[in-house]
Amino acid sequence: MPRFTLTYVRVIDRMNYGIGRFAMYLLFVLMGVLLWSSITKAAGSPANWTLEIAQFVMVAYYVLGGPWSMQEGSHVRMDLLYETWTPQRKAWWDAFTVFALMFYLCVLIWGAWDSAVYSLGLRYNPIEVAWLPFDLPWVRTGFMERAPTAFRPYLWPVKIVMLLGFVLMLLQAISCLIRDIATIRGEAIP
Amino acid sequence: MSYEMIAVMMFSTMLLMMLTGQRVFGVIGFVATASALWLWGTSAQTMGFSAAITLMKWYPLLTLPMFIFMGYVLSESRLAEDLYRMFHVWFGPVPGGLAIGTILLMVLISAMNGLSVAGMAIGATIALPELLKRGYDKRMITGVIQAGSSLGILIPPSVVLVLYSMIARQPVSQLWLAGVFPGLMMAAMFVLYIYIRCKITPSLGPVLAGDDLVAGRAERYRLLGAGALPFLIFIVMMVPFIYGYTSLVEASVVGALAAVAAAAIKGRLTWKLIESCAKSTLMISCMFMWIILAALSFGAVFDGLGAVKAIEGFFIGQLGLSPWEILILMQLSYLIMGMFLDDTAMLVIVAPLYVPLVGVLGFDLIWYGVLYTITCQIAYLTPPFGYNLFLMRAMAPPEIGIRDIYASVLPFVGVMILALVLVMMFPQIALWLPQYVNQ
Repeated sequence: MPRFTLTYVRVIDRMNYGIGRFAMYLLFVLMGVLLWSSITKAAGSPANWTLEIAQFVMVAYYVLGGPWSMQEGSHVRMDLLYETWTPQRKAWWDAFTVFALMFYLCVLIWGAWDSAVYSLGLRYNPIEVAWLPFDLPWVRTGFMERAPTAFRPYLWPVKIVMLLGFVLMLLQAISCLIRDIATIRGEAIP
Repeated sequence: MSYEMIAVMMFSTMLLMMLTGQRVFGVIGFVATASALWLWGTSAQTMGFSAAITLMKWYPLLTLPMFIFMGYVLSESRLAEDLYRMFHVWFGPVPGGLAIGTILLMVLISAMNGLSVAGMAIGATIALPELLKRGYDKRMITGVIQAGSSLGILIPPSVVLVLYSMIARQPVSQLWLAGVFPGLMMAAMFVLYIYIRCKITPSLGPVLAGDDLVAGRAERYRLLGAGALPFLIFIVMMVPFIYGYTSLVEASVVGALAAVAAAAIKGRLTWKLIESCAKSTLMISCMFMWIILAALSFGAVFDGLGAVKAIEGFFIGQLGLSPWEILILMQLSYLIMGMFLDDTAMLVIVAPLYVPLVGVLGFDLIWYGVLYTITCQIAYLTPPFGYNLFLMRAMAPPEIGIRDIYASVLPFVGVMILALVLVMMFPQIALWLPQYVNQ
C-alpha cells in the first residue's frame, strides 16, 4: 500500500480512538447531570437546565463515540452469508458496500452543515480594504438560534458537535476502506 | 410508480443490501436518504439530519446507556455468581434442576436490567460452563440461556417498552407493570417445559447427587441471602419511580448507581471494572443509537409516502377482515419480519406503521405493548437475524456450534408463541396489574 494511506489509517484510527475514549467518560457526566436533576427536584427547586444539557451530552456521547465503535467492529451486520466468507471475500464486498455507508454519512454531513450555518446565522460579509484591488472574504455570525424553552440554550454547540462527529465517522469509513483494500491485496495493516 | 410499489422496493432493497453483510445502520440510512433524494429532490437532504434532532428530543432514550451500563456492572463484577450458586444448591436434586435454576436466575437478572445483553453475558460465562460440566445436553442449555435472557425485555425495567412507549404515547410505568405477569408466566412455562423434557429423557438434565450438594444447612440458608441483592436493587430503582418521586430517566441512573454500590459492597469494584464496563456500554449504545438514527430517517420517508394509510387501507378496505383477524395477521407479519430485520430497526420502522392501526381498531395499546414485546423476544431468537443468536455465537465455548445455537431455540420459540396466544386470548394477564395499581 502507498505510504500516505498507511499514515492516514494510523492518524485517523488514533485520533478516533482518543475522541472515543473522551466520549466514553461522558456517560459519567450524563449520570451527574441527571443525579443533580433529581437532587434539586427533591430539594424543591428543580434546575431548569438539566434536561437539555443531558440531551446534548447524550448526542455527543453516541456521535463522537461512533467512529471508535466502528473501528472496534461493534456495529451489527446481518451475517447470514457474511459469516461463512473468507476474510478476503468479506473485504471485497465491504470495499463496495462501504460506499453506501459513505453516501449516507455525506447526506448527514450536508444536513448538519446547513443546520449549523443556520444556528450561527452565518453570512458572507466581505471586508473592503482601500489599498487592495479585491475585497477580503469574511464570514460574520448573525442571529443565533436558541431552543424555545425556559433555559433557552444556544443550539450551535450541539450542531457543531454533530457535524464534527459525522465527519469523523466518514474519515473512519475511509480508513476501513483502506484496510479492506489492503486485505484484498494480501497485506496486513497493523 | 405507485407509492406502495416504492415502499415495497425500498424494503426489498434494504433486505438485499443487508445480505451483503454491510453494517446495518449504513444500509438502512443509505436506502432512506437515497430514496428521499430520488423522490423529492435536494429539498429532502435534511432527511438524515433531522432524524438526529428527533433522536435528541427522545428524552427517555437516555435510559439506554444507563441500563446497558447497569447490566455490564452486574455481569462483570460477577455479582450473579452467588445467585447462581444458590440455585445450584437448591435446585440440583430436581430433574433438569440446574436449567430450571438458570431460568430463575434470568428472571432475577431481568428484574434488574432492561435488555437481554446482561442475561446473555451472565448465562454464557457463569451458568453455561457449569451446566456443560454436569453433563447437561448442550442444545437444551444453549436454548435455556437465550430464551431466559430474552425475558429481560418483558420483565420491568424494559428498554423495548420504553421505545414502544415513545411510539405509542403510553405511560412507561403502566407498560412496565403490564409486563410483570406475562413475564413471570412465560418463565413458569419455560420451567414446566424443562421439567417435562427432563422427566421424559433424564439424560438431558441429570440429577445432581453426592459431592455437588455437600453444602450444609447453614451454607444453604446463607446462600439464600444472595437472592436479596437483586430484590434490593429492583426496589431501590422501581419504588420511587412508580410513586412518581423520580422520572424514568432518573430511575435508570439510580439503578446504575445501585449496581455500582452493590459491586462496591461485595468488594469487587475496581477502576479497571468501571472502565471496561464503560467501554462496552459505549460500544453497545453506539450500535443501538446509530441504527435508531438511520431507522428514523427510513420511517420518515415511509411516512412521507403515506405508508400508514396504505397499510390501513389494505387491511381494512381491501381484505375486509375483522379487527382480530387483522391483529393476528399483523403479529404473523411481525414474526416473519423479525427473522430478517434487526430488532431495533424493526421497532422504529414497523411499529410506527402498526401502532396507530391497532389504536384505530379499538384495542388497548398497553396490552398491545406486551404482545409487541413478546414478538420482539421471539425475533431476538429466530435465525438468521436474532440479536441473542449473535451474542451467543460471540460468547459460547467452541464445542457449541452454530447449528446447536440455531436448533436450541426452536422449542423455546414454540413456548413463547404459546405465551403470546395466551396473552392475546386473556388480556387480563397483562392488564390486571396496571389497572389494579391505577385504582
